[in-house]
Amino acid sequence: MGQVKSKKGGISLDMTAMCDVAFLLLTFFILTAKMKVPEPARFEVPSSISVTKLPDDNVIRISISNEGAVFLTIAEQSTRRELISKIDEMYKLALTDKQKVKFELIETFGVPMAELPFYLGLSDEKRKEFKQKGIVMDSTNNELKGWVRVAKIINPALRIAVKGDRESEFVVFSRVLTSLQEMNLNKFSLITSMENKPSVE
Amino acid sequence: MSEIASSEGGKKGKGAGKSHKTTSTKVDMTPMVDLAFLLITFFMLTTTLSKQQIMQLNMPDKNDKNVDRPDVKESQAMTIILGEKDKVFWYTTKDGVPEFHETNFNPEEGIRKVLLDKNKTTQDLIVVIKAMEKSKYINIVDLIDEMHITNTERYALVDISKEDVTLVEKQVAMFPEAN
Repeated sequence: MGQVKSKKGGISLDMTAMCDVAFLLLTFFILTAKMKVPEPARFEVPSSISVTKLPDDNVIRISISNEGAVFLTIAEQSTRRELISKIDEMYKLALTDKQKVKFELIETFGVPMAELPFYLGLSDEKRKEFKQKGIVMDSTNNELKGWVRVAKIINPALRIAVKGDRESEFVVFSRVLTSLQEMNLNKFSLITSMENKPSVE
Repeated sequence: MSEIASSEGGKKGKGAGKSHKTTSTKVDMTPMVDLAFLLITFFMLTTTLSKQQIMQLNMPDKNDKNVDRPDVKESQAMTIILGEKDKVFWYTTKDGVPEFHETNFNPEEGIRKVLLDKNKTTQDLIVVIKAMEKSKYINIVDLIDEMHITNTERYALVDISKEDVTLVEKQVAMFPEAN
C-alpha cells in the first residue's frame, strides 16, 4: 500500500526540521555579524603566518592607504567623543556641537587638522565623496602624535594597530613608527590576513 | 495574470476539494530551506573573513640610552636590505669587508633558503633588517614573516645607513640587466 502511494507522489521529505535548523543558524550569524563600515581608501593588507587575533576593544588603528595617506580609526564612540572635545581645545578649532556630534559618528578619518572643521561641516553625501588627504606627519607639525597622545590619555589601555596597504611605501610606515616611538610607544600590532604556514625542513 | 491563475486554482481547489481534504496541509519547504542556507553561507563567509590577524612588532626604546646593547660578533650578524621592486639584498661582514648578495622573496630559493642555511651554520644568528625608501610595506611584513617561518628569533628593524645605500647602488650598477 505504502509503496504504491509513494511512487505516485514522488519522494517528499519532511523539511520542517531542516528548515528550523537553517533558520536557527541564520539568526545566529545575523546577530553575530558585524556590519562592515565602508572605508575611505584602499587598505589591502599583506598576509602573514601569524594567528594572533586582533582584540575588538581598546584598539586605535592607524591605516596607511595605497597612496600613503594616514587614517585613524577609533572603534568606541565614547572615546571619540572625549577625543574631539580635547582636540578642539588643544588646537583651538572652535568646532560647533553639531560638528562634534558628526565626528563621533565617523569611525575612520584622515584629514589634516586645518581641514577638520570644513570636513565635519559637509553634508553626509558630500563627506563620503570628499577626498581625505590623510593626517599630517611633518617634523614640525606632527598631528598624528597629537591624536594618539590625546587618545592615550583618554584610554591608557589602547593598543596600537597598524593596517598598511601592500603597495604603500615603507617611508610612510617608518614615519608612523618613528612618530610613535618618540612618544615611547614601542609595541605595534600589524594587521595581516591569514596565510598557511609553509613547511620548512 | 496572477489573478487569473489564482482564480483558476480556486476553482480547481473547489472542484477537487473532496479528494484533497483527506491529505494533510503540507507546505513545500524546499525553496525556504534553500534561501535559508544561502543566507547562512553569506553570513558565515562575511563573519569569518572580517576577523583580523595581527603580527606583533616590538621596537627598542629609543629614549632609553642606558639599554645595554649586547656585543654582536661580526660572524653572527647578518644584514638584510629591502630594495625597490621586491628585491632583497643581504650581506655578512668578514674582517670589515661585506660579502654582498642579491636575492628575492621566492619561497624556494629566495631569502627563506638563505635564512635557513644561515641558521644552520651560525649560532645565535642576529638579523638586522634595513629598508630602502623605495621599498613597499608588504616587503617588510613579508620579511618579518620569513623570520617567523625560519624561526629566527633575534632580529631588529634599523634605519638604513648611507654605506648600505652605496652598497646597494653598487650591486645594482654591477648587474643592470637584472632590472
